[in-house]
Amino acid sequence: MEERKIKKMDDNEMEECDMGSDEDYYNDPDPDVTHTDNDKDPESFEYKILEVVEVEMLLNTSVETMCKTIDVSPSLAKLLLHNYSWNTQKIEAEYRQNPEQLLINGKIKPSKIAKGVSRKNECIVCAQEVDTLLGVECRHRFCETCWCQHFEVQILNGVSTAIGCMGTDCTVLMPEDFVLSILRCRNQSKLSQQYQELTFRSYVSNHPELLYCPGPNCTAVIQAKAKEAKRVDCKKCKTTFCFKCGIDYHAPADCDTIKKWLIKCADDSETANYISAHTKDCPKCQVCIEKDGGCNHMKCKKCGHDFCWMCLGDWSAHGSEYYECSKYKENPNIANESEHAQAREALKKYLFYFERWANHDNSLRKEKDKMKEIAKQIEEKVTTKDGTWIDWQYLNKAGELLRRCRYTLQYTYPYAYYMLKGARKELFEYQQAQLESAVEALSYDIERAVLDSRGDIENKMDVVEKRRLTLVREFLVT
Amino acid sequence: MSNIALTRIQREFKEVIKSDEVKNCQIKLEPFEDNFTHLKGEIIGPPDTPYQGGKYTLDIVIPETYPFNPPKVKFLTKIWHPNISSQTGAICLDILKDQWAAAMTLRTVLLSLQALMSAAEPDDPQDAVVATQFKQHPEIFRSTASFWAYVYAEAPRNEKMKEYEEKLKQLQEMGFHEKNSRITALSSKNWDLQAAMEFLLP
Repeated sequence: MEERKIKKMDDNEMEECDMGSDEDYYNDPDPDVTHTDNDKDPESFEYKILEVVEVEMLLNTSVETMCKTIDVSPSLAKLLLHNYSWNTQKIEAEYRQNPEQLLINGKIKPSKIAKGVSRKNECIVCAQEVDTLLGVECRHRFCETCWCQHFEVQILNGVSTAIGCMGTDCTVLMPEDFVLSILRCRNQSKLSQQYQELTFRSYVSNHPELLYCPGPNCTAVIQAKAKEAKRVDCKKCKTTFCFKCGIDYHAPADCDTIKKWLIKCADDSETANYISAHTKDCPKCQVCIEKDGGCNHMKCKKCGHDFCWMCLGDWSAHGSEYYECSKYKENPNIANESEHAQAREALKKYLFYFERWANHDNSLRKEKDKMKEIAKQIEEKVTTKDGTWIDWQYLNKAGELLRRCRYTLQYTYPYAYYMLKGARKELFEYQQAQLESAVEALSYDIERAVLDSRGDIENKMDVVEKRRLTLVREFLVT
Repeated sequence: MSNIALTRIQREFKEVIKSDEVKNCQIKLEPFEDNFTHLKGEIIGPPDTPYQGGKYTLDIVIPETYPFNPPKVKFLTKIWHPNISSQTGAICLDILKDQWAAAMTLRTVLLSLQALMSAAEPDDPQDAVVATQFKQHPEIFRSTASFWAYVYAEAPRNEKMKEYEEKLKQLQEMGFHEKNSRITALSSKNWDLQAAMEFLLP
């Protein structure tokens, strides 16, 4: 069933791909010039990185339009938009149908108006006689002190756009201007600022086109047409994340797969912990080796043996097209084995994928340090007249590309873990192995680069990005 | 206790005492040791329910921020009900959580609890065992709830209880001396003696 579904999708995709390229070929005046890699990259999409002020402008534009369309104050329009997830079309449609019902659904008007609840000028919350009672559309009226305390309790609990009325069974929500005017009267400037920050966050999180950058302490807001599982690179804090789920970008895996995988990793962390140890013994001379770079091609400093960090096998088998280290070999007879053996097999399978996933994560971090080192070395070389600054720039580009490819490679492992056995998985594993071997080759060269290795490295860069795109284009469901 | 909370509680006491429900002995409210932050409530099991005629004592703690935050209420009298924990007396009721409104009063709370006793919401359970029984064996649920009302809340006795008491006695003879755990075990296992015994064994 699953298999057929996947297969069908491919056919469609392929058709689309073919059609696309034909059209491009005929319609594009000069395909060779205008087509950069980004155009073809199935991961890229259009997005903008906005500052807080720009987001405010964007929201205010929607609010102004809304005020003109239906006759409400800006504050109520904002509340209405928020409760309808900023879907102006839906609001307008409902307004044309039944304007009264729209305001009730939008939690601006009550379904039934409260009649003379208070005796004289008594606030029923604090049981005190006061000069003036205040309230909004629902006509539940309370004193300023009580409103203020109510807002304080709610805001300190992190509630902002969802602050309700204090009346029994009242569904009406408090508009921004009412809350702010009460807080201003009571000189609660700190609370008022907190409230505005909370409401702003709340508006953004309910907006279908906006997403907060998940980077630590980053205030950037990303804007794109729709919530698609596409890659966003925050220019401000350099975080790379998925626009749909807001966590680390994860192609070729989809949002659900990666969520499942991360939960699994968190649950099984104890068993998996031992693997993330950073040292292994050289398979030939048994000397303890610490991995200090990102490359999996290890060369023992003591005996000169070339081996693979992942499988500890001879590296000579990895450089060629028979790179098999990324493939998990399932026990073909497993269905007939005991429950115990099956459980062990399941754990073994998970550990296989987890180990590779965690190893790439580790390599990414180490390569980041390595790139800093390389940048320093370039500086030194330039000052000692060993080539010019421009001569060495290819290395920085290579480092950036390596990072991107290794990143995709990391996320191929959760994808493969959940894949069903069959021809499709074999194709995936073949392409994964191709990418794996190209990444390691590039990584090895970068760590050992000299001035005249430029041509060689640029060659490898070309190969590795092509392989990455082939895999992503084939398997990323868009 | 803040000023607003104190004024409010004093006012609410007056309100409850004057109310019709108190006159009909449906609800009661009194402070624990002259202290308005800790109160004792009482509600009578509503008619046409397994709790009919039972007296249920409630523990009510008034928070510092009352009435802007709800009072903390739990049952002191043990009760068999899908939305109330049979172990701790904790209550799952929306107005005691996010649906609380500052204009609500202790009287509203007590009356809402009475309403909850008449109309349980098994899809939003506090006690999963009770809720399952409520849905799968409604007959057993009703007789179990009224047995608990008889044992713990001074509700009147009925014919069915003879059978239950017999089973309790049998368990006691097997060496299970703690009465409450015997009742819980049998109630949880739909009064199946064998299953209850296994439940009680360590």
